[in-house]
Amino acid sequence: MSLNANSADIAFTFKGGMLPMTVMELSSADPEHIRSQLAGKLSQSPAFFQHTPVVLSVEKLDEPHLALERICAVCRDHKLLPVAVRGGAEPVRQSAWALGLGWFAPVEEGRSRLLESVDTTATPDDAIDEVEAADQEVVAVATRLFRGTVRSGQQVSASEGDLVVIGAVNAGAEVLAAGSIHVYGALRGRALAGIHGNTQAGIYCRELEAELLSVAGNYKRLEDIDSQLLGRAAEVHFAKEQLEIKPLG
Amino acid sequence: MAKIIVVTSGKGGVGKTTSAAAISTGLALRGKKTVVIDFDVGLRNLDLIMGCERRVVYDLVNVIQGEAGLNQALIRDKRVENLFILPASQTRDKDALTQEGVERILEQLKQDFDFILCDSPAGIERGAQLAMYFADEAIVVTNPEVSSVRDSDRILGLLGSKTRRAEQSLDPVKEHLLITRYNPSRVTSGDMLTLDDIREILSIDLLGLIPESEAVLRASNQGVPVTHDAASDAGQAYSDTVSRLLGEDMPLRFHEVQRKGLLNRMFGGGRR
Repeated sequence: MSLNANSADIAFTFKGGMLPMTVMELSSADPEHIRSQLAGKLSQSPAFFQHTPVVLSVEKLDEPHLALERICAVCRDHKLLPVAVRGGAEPVRQSAWALGLGWFAPVEEGRSRLLESVDTTATPDDAIDEVEAADQEVVAVATRLFRGTVRSGQQVSASEGDLVVIGAVNAGAEVLAAGSIHVYGALRGRALAGIHGNTQAGIYCRELEAELLSVAGNYKRLEDIDSQLLGRAAEVHFAKEQLEIKPLG
Repeated sequence: MAKIIVVTSGKGGVGKTTSAAAISTGLALRGKKTVVIDFDVGLRNLDLIMGCERRVVYDLVNVIQGEAGLNQALIRDKRVENLFILPASQTRDKDALTQEGVERILEQLKQDFDFILCDSPAGIERGAQLAMYFADEAIVVTNPEVSSVRDSDRILGLLGSKTRRAEQSLDPVKEHLLITRYNPSRVTSGDMLTLDDIREILSIDLLGLIPESEAVLRASNQGVPVTHDAASDAGQAYSDTVSRLLGEDMPLRFHEVQRKGLLNRMFGGGRR
């Protein structure tokens, strides 16, 4: 009690927290190699690169010395914010600290298939047309509202909040949101909710025919979806370490 | 003021050129002064379908590059008054087209014509994008088949983002759906997508439905647009399409399996 005697004097309190965090697992130590791949991904999913904090995992690399400073600079150039390094030998740990980054001990095999598992091989950069938002967007506390059909090759994203589509999302189209995705029509394309790692996000649609569903990087392809659920209104959540799809209403 | 209409599809072989030829002929037959431009530089076909391949001297690329005047390159149709063809070049590629050049030609044609039809090449590259860029309206040609519908969907996305009307935030390009090669009995048997499926996915207004017909193949090979074959089902369907394009209200035909009457069965059902 004596420690908390006067709550007005408290400058801060420590609290334990489990924050969603993207791990960027390096399989190359060459900054230029990383740069060229990042450039491609940036143009594919600009919504993901919003000064997103990342932990650089170097566990797969077998190099005692890393050009860590240059790798961090490459990340920052692409709006990724390295906050810590995971794994690596003693020199790596020392240089992480020198750069003001945290250091985590390496973890054991066989865990996490987070964001990285979202298919990035899909369409070439120029095939995606980021739909001009201006005239179709109504701002309502970071929820993005899109009226009309999201057509093949188009990408509509809500980088901060939820995305509401009043219309259909056709095959070959992609909708992304930091929060949940609501489609008042048929969902035939790809829907990725919780792109910054929010596992509480959900996907809701009037008619489920989706090519791909993903919540916080955990995905199901059309082939993995129980055919009984197809063609019906459905909701998708992340529960018990996997995507759960249920009929809606 | 002339209307610029692009005939496009994304996918190849669905009937863009056949439709451009048939619709431009139909418009000219109604007294509208019409020009149809072949944008498929390198693979010119429109002149064959229109039956004027032996009269090509200059082409679209020649005009763009200033090697010929527009009037030298325009070919007057022999069958219908008011109809002109601007052929594509066989020997160049699509890089020879420039946006400024296309704009200049279209501006010039607008002075004289009621309708300018742009026959787009397949694909979504430069040629197709230039064909659609200046369009006021678009006729999206689709076959009752999944890949064709998906490509049309892609093209509709481009019409909404990569055209002058979209870039300058003018009224959007007016989009029309034209379904070709529709075979009601194969739709009934489940081999083809239904009319309703296509309309639901693409969600744009239906301009016309052209049944799969031998008349189309015959017309292409003879170089006579099928609209001239007024006895054929496809000819009539294109004629209906032209009427709707001009704002008339026409009931939909040829979308259901025809029950053959006694006379039809006796005499083999007339021409198809």
